[in-house]
Amino acid sequence: MSNIDRRTLVKGSLAAMMAGAASSRGAFADTSEPILLGVSGPLTGPNAQYGTQWKQGFDLALDEIMAAGGINGRKLAYQFEDSQSDPRQSVAIAQKFVSDPRIVMELGDFSSPASMAASPIYQRGGLVQFGFTNSHPDFTKGGDFMWSTSVSQADEQPLLAAYAVKRLGLKKLAVLHLNTDWGRTSRDYFSNAAKEYGAEIVVTEGYIAEERDFRSTLVRVRDANPDGLILISYYSDGALIARQARQVGLKQVICAASSVYSPKFIELGGEAVEDVHVGTRYFPEDTRPEVQKFIAGFKKKYNGQEPDAFNAYSYDAMNMAAAVVKIGGTDRKAIRDAFTKVKDVSSVIFGSATFDVASRRVKGAMNAELVVRKGQFALWDGKPT
Amino acid sequence: MSSWLDYTINGLIVGNVYALVAVGLALIFGVSRLINFAQGSIYLVGAYIGWVAVVQLHTPLPLTIIVVAVAAAIVGLIIERFGLRPLQNSVRIAPLLATIGISFVLDQLVMLTFSPNPRALPSQLPDVRFQVGGGTIGPLDLLIAGVGLTSALLLFVFLRYSKLGWAVRATAQDRDAAMQMGVDVNRVNQAVFGIAAALGGVSGLLVGMYYNQIDTAMSLQATLKGVVAEVVGGAGNVPGAVIGSLLLGLVESYGVAVFGTSYRNLFAFLLLVVVLVLRPNGLFASARQAPPEPLTGTFIAPSRPVRIPRWALAVAAAIFAILPLFPVSFYVLQTLINAWLLGMLALSLTLVAGTIGQVSLGHAALLAIGAYTSALLSLTLNVPVGLAIIGGGLMSAALGTLLISPSFRLRGHYVSIATLAIGEIVSLVILNWESVTRGPIGISGIPPLSLFGTELISPTSIYWFSFAVMVVLALLQGRLLTSHLGRSFRAIRDDDIAARAYGLSLNRYKSLAFIFGGFAAGVSGGIAAHLYSYINHETFNTQQSILALTVVILGGLGNVVGAMLGAVALVGLPEVFRIAAEYRILIYGIVLLLLVRFRPQGLLGTI
Repeated sequence: MSNIDRRTLVKGSLAAMMAGAASSRGAFADTSEPILLGVSGPLTGPNAQYGTQWKQGFDLALDEIMAAGGINGRKLAYQFEDSQSDPRQSVAIAQKFVSDPRIVMELGDFSSPASMAASPIYQRGGLVQFGFTNSHPDFTKGGDFMWSTSVSQADEQPLLAAYAVKRLGLKKLAVLHLNTDWGRTSRDYFSNAAKEYGAEIVVTEGYIAEERDFRSTLVRVRDANPDGLILISYYSDGALIARQARQVGLKQVICAASSVYSPKFIELGGEAVEDVHVGTRYFPEDTRPEVQKFIAGFKKKYNGQEPDAFNAYSYDAMNMAAAVVKIGGTDRKAIRDAFTKVKDVSSVIFGSATFDVASRRVKGAMNAELVVRKGQFALWDGKPT
Repeated sequence: MSSWLDYTINGLIVGNVYALVAVGLALIFGVSRLINFAQGSIYLVGAYIGWVAVVQLHTPLPLTIIVVAVAAAIVGLIIERFGLRPLQNSVRIAPLLATIGISFVLDQLVMLTFSPNPRALPSQLPDVRFQVGGGTIGPLDLLIAGVGLTSALLLFVFLRYSKLGWAVRATAQDRDAAMQMGVDVNRVNQAVFGIAAALGGVSGLLVGMYYNQIDTAMSLQATLKGVVAEVVGGAGNVPGAVIGSLLLGLVESYGVAVFGTSYRNLFAFLLLVVVLVLRPNGLFASARQAPPEPLTGTFIAPSRPVRIPRWALAVAAAIFAILPLFPVSFYVLQTLINAWLLGMLALSLTLVAGTIGQVSLGHAALLAIGAYTSALLSLTLNVPVGLAIIGGGLMSAALGTLLISPSFRLRGHYVSIATLAIGEIVSLVILNWESVTRGPIGISGIPPLSLFGTELISPTSIYWFSFAVMVVLALLQGRLLTSHLGRSFRAIRDDDIAARAYGLSLNRYKSLAFIFGGFAAGVSGGIAAHLYSYINHETFNTQQSILALTVVILGGLGNVVGAMLGAVALVGLPEVFRIAAEYRILIYGIVLLLLVRFRPQGLLGTI
């Protein structure tokens, strides 16, 4: 660690010399420069779509933060570095951010391999890694600089299980899940909760992200004779499964995790996703003011486009980052400490978000039970489908 | 029992979908002995042109198909004229690399034009379903089957009875002889690329409609499955490609039936390896047919390597060794650490691909084996990290050689495809063997690098460690190349029949090369595991294998210094282009294409 100290010393003295020479670089110049957040995420490669969704949410939140006067009068901005969700690139980006004194905290990365490979660097470098989509149970165990607002699957899945089992009355469930760390963890939490509520899991099938053809999987599902299908999927694969299930003649109730909550799910699934039940964290007609503000602002900024779950995560993350920086200022350690102090930040996903200091996560996500009716997500009216 | 009927029907339906891509690949392979890795990208382009036609211009289906076919054919002609024709007299591996570069560029162009979000591509056929067995099929299934079978049949007739078809076959059998007989080889190639691209575009359109979904990630998957199907049917054999596709679909479907969904691709790739080992020319090759690969090693042409004086190398090594003493940022050091890790992988690959001529497309599997071994040794058995990394190297050497040994009898492209399949199999085994590898959850909390009890956690010390390991491996390999053993390796590469006649046991030498190469790759994977602290089955993926091969070809096959230079270039370039944000991979692809175009033997030449 002595190396870091020497290096920062060298940098510090260099900066001081430059400041002296230019003489304009003082306390005044500081406030004209924006406070900079580093973002590490996919803009190209197979996960590029999620990076572009992040940007939309960030930009909207930033517009609102600026309109409200910025961070104590200073601007807030982010520098997005494309990692392709590749651990080799995310570690280089981590060093880049850690050694860039302008960066006060980091947001991302998207996938667990990319995020958690970079964690040791952020931890040793003393820069907060704020992983707002990192549901891997070990992510925040990387150290006290790892914080996450990703909805814990231990919270989310029992809500979905309650919707499917208690509300919809399903007793024999087929679980189809994305075979990633997220899908696997979710499946386990879901199955445990569903069993607790008295349902039986008759078949579970894990599929890889590139899969497009589910017909044979659905024959397995049919032969297990379930009364409901549970999709622990993202919107594109969720739509594919729903379509193919209807095509092969499966008429069971389909109930999906909140990650399918996107207008794309309906666009891609068409008529097949009609009557699909989705447990989500917010919904368009939600009367909560933060949700109305988010949806109205999003539609206005992006030509009437409906926001989806990933837009909401990144929007919330930027608002959380602003709240933290307001308390912690620009000192990296103070920012870490600010995560323990920040309270009741207005949030689309959580209503109001406060970190649980022990787990460095936020508990108590909001819950809305939706169903697709006439090509729209609507609050479920309690009628069976 | 009725379920088995359903699995069979489903297998045939998805086989149908694979056939569309496989036929195009087979056609191109038949003529130019080239696995066109850009075929999936043409498929992608076709799907998006179809989207524009259907959603924006509201064209009726027959017109949509014509528009897509023509547009895709034009793309194919452009690829042939500007991407591949300039390379026809260079090393045979150059066009292969060019198609990889072209696929990068096309995929990125589509992504930049249409955004990476998936889109719906509505089917223009009436939505009626016919009950078959326990499931249903729709008109689109029939259309896809119709297009696949008709195109295979038409191509068969075209190749057998038309004059241009004869020219195509003559060119396929012997280019030079065909030219002497007055066949316009370029025109033949053009025709073939045009037809294959039109077919590829239409298949993208139909498959997009089939799933009502198109996105930019569909290209690589289409290529992979198409290649498997094509090789199973017999590379270059058009009707064989259709049957190979149906067989692939069936094997996948039965695999799902018996073992579950997460085993699906495992069966696809196992089928490929079994077919390659038992019948290397594909299931439908006749016994009298000339082998589709040349008997001698013209796959890798010798060239005059650039001689770099020893003192220059020593100076370069010294500069890199003392680099951390200067105020360079940790970002630069980290980027170079990545380069050194990739350099070790490239050393391994340049030995097996360049020196002994076994071009591997699954080298990331060796990284994964080394990484998992080292991580598990240090986590569960508390083996010191330094020893665990060596253990990873040894395991990679042993297991890698064992896995690859059945394909030692293969040549040229077939080695690449077999290794590609083995790479996928390793990744899928890691995903499914949960009791050992922890499956998709991955391994977290891997201890950091340490040496003799001292933790190496500052970027400077990791830099020195990885640089030193790479230099030691490079020196060993350099020594190996100048030894008797190295000369034997090259003899096998250049002419394996002559080498065998001279008394060299091919399998033994190939094993030796893979043992040495496997060790270097395993060590690289082991270091990476301790550097990242978390790995799962996605950490070491196919893109890594392709990147490693690009490094090796860029540096010059078999060239030790070239491998390290290539690694620095290919890790560094995307970082340098970071300023270009979304455009950086596009620029990277173009730079790659230019390098292949003007320096196909690699920067430093083949040794």
